[in-house]
Amino acid sequence: MTRLAIIALLATSLPAWAGLPTDPYGSPMWEYNVERYLGNVAPVVLDEQVQVKVPPFAENSSQVPLTVDLSNYPLPIREMVAWVDLNPIPHLFSLTPGPAPATLVSMNFRVQQATTVRVAVLDDDGVWHLGSAFVDAAGGGCTAPSMTAANPDWEQNFGTIRGGAFSRVDGVRFKFSVMHPMDSGMVDGVPLFHIEHVVLRDSASSDPLLTMNLSESAAENPMLVFEFGHQTPDAVLWMRDNNGNEFERKLGGQP
Amino acid sequence: MIRRAAIVMLCWLVGAPVVSAPELAYNLEAREIAKGTWVIEGSTGNFSRDNGGNIVNVAFVITGDGVVVIDSGPSRLYGEALRRLIESKTSEPITHVLITHHHPDHAFGSQAFDPDTLYMLDGAREMLEEEGDGFSDNMYRLVGDWMRGTEVVVPANTLEPGILDVGDHRFQLLELTGHTGSDLVVLDETTGVLFASDMVFYNRALTTPQSPGLMIWAGELARLEELPYRIVVPGHGPIVSDDSAFRQMADYLGWLYQTLTASASRGLSASEVMQQPIPHRFDAVEGAEYELIRTTTHLYPKYESSALVLLPE
Repeated sequence: MTRLAIIALLATSLPAWAGLPTDPYGSPMWEYNVERYLGNVAPVVLDEQVQVKVPPFAENSSQVPLTVDLSNYPLPIREMVAWVDLNPIPHLFSLTPGPAPATLVSMNFRVQQATTVRVAVLDDDGVWHLGSAFVDAAGGGCTAPSMTAANPDWEQNFGTIRGGAFSRVDGVRFKFSVMHPMDSGMVDGVPLFHIEHVVLRDSASSDPLLTMNLSESAAENPMLVFEFGHQTPDAVLWMRDNNGNEFERKLGGQP
Repeated sequence: MIRRAAIVMLCWLVGAPVVSAPELAYNLEAREIAKGTWVIEGSTGNFSRDNGGNIVNVAFVITGDGVVVIDSGPSRLYGEALRRLIESKTSEPITHVLITHHHPDHAFGSQAFDPDTLYMLDGAREMLEEEGDGFSDNMYRLVGDWMRGTEVVVPANTLEPGILDVGDHRFQLLELTGHTGSDLVVLDETTGVLFASDMVFYNRALTTPQSPGLMIWAGELARLEELPYRIVVPGHGPIVSDDSAFRQMADYLGWLYQTLTASASRGLSASEVMQQPIPHRFDAVEGAEYELIRTTTHLYPKYESSALVLLPE
């Protein structure tokens, strides 16, 4: 059965919001978080083409890698939202793509306990396509003090950004890391201090390639990866944290 | 939850006795691999409630003037079983318990032994002091009741690298770093048995939580192989009397290094690295997929960082 047929079937056989499918992972936060992050109007379908890659267990609860692979997902994307079901603040990021959406997004997140991770993408017909994965964990990643702040020299490295543009058969992969404690605000006496906004623009046209909002579930010293088909390796990265620090760098075209 | 509550209620209503857990016992068996030299071989699995953490090779040498024990096992219960086993083989006193490194499967049975007989390298002692409680929490989570009564014991005596003479045996003590930053390897010059500790894993994927680096480890491994050994007792996996454990270990370390380096140079994300297939030549290596996930977590960030350039403001 084709994807569209499945969507059509789901869309016709079920009324609009009651169309929320059963969670294959049986998470207690399923309905609550779907409604919280996707609203209760647009239909939601489970879609394995939204590949959510996480390890089966978290070796380090403060740094759990997530890769969203949309290389098999053919439809245009208007929004992408990711959350970690059982974290104190589940939201991880919301992403608005430019005209040519990223086919792969990767970053690390924190886990407070074993949990499902969700990524939903909104198609042009207003349907959310949702992929899930489960990660086992000893936990505590959200309430552990950041390693960065424990290092007396952290201010010297604060805001240091390393990056690269890696060519692909089609297009380019951007990868960059920024030294930032990303304090979740959940550690006693350490207020929320994290990067909220990430914008990637094409250098030539200044058109946004993507705009991203990060939340408390994002890991410290973020390492972000975005892959685009048919994109030149020249882009400008701009980020701002909740204290107003701005970071701007050229990606790609480096010697 | 509700169902469990219902079962509890039911038991209570019909007056059924509460079922108690079966008595946990390790049933350790020792094998004599050289004169007076016994090894208790653990499984090559992960810590679990089924194996009680008995995934490690522990050894003892009856020297004629006291017993030298190499590692104390994963729990108090294990340590006590180990002591009884030694006492069943000899009436000589246990004079030395050498703890090779600070990982729980090697160091958590020490309560069963006289504190004055416990020895450890200085660096390893410091790490046990620092990280022991964290390991302990994790062990209780992973193997549960087998850990009952286990507390971290930091050995009182510092071990210096060099020669240790006990009874008829001369031991060469070496300090290395590849696995944890402070790893003891013991060569019994009298019998040619090399107690390689976790510097050598055989048919079991190596673990890297505190490794200073794969190539550092590989370099030290090459040094160890030069030693005049006859038999190799790896920290995990079967005992061998040729160089097969060294061969596999060197190959595996090299493959890990290549994989992480090549992945970083292609800009792969950590989750992509974790999902890479293990080459078939390592089919005999237990836990390779599991340990690749862990090793990527521990070591890949460094490889990633060096494949990226500092972006000027």
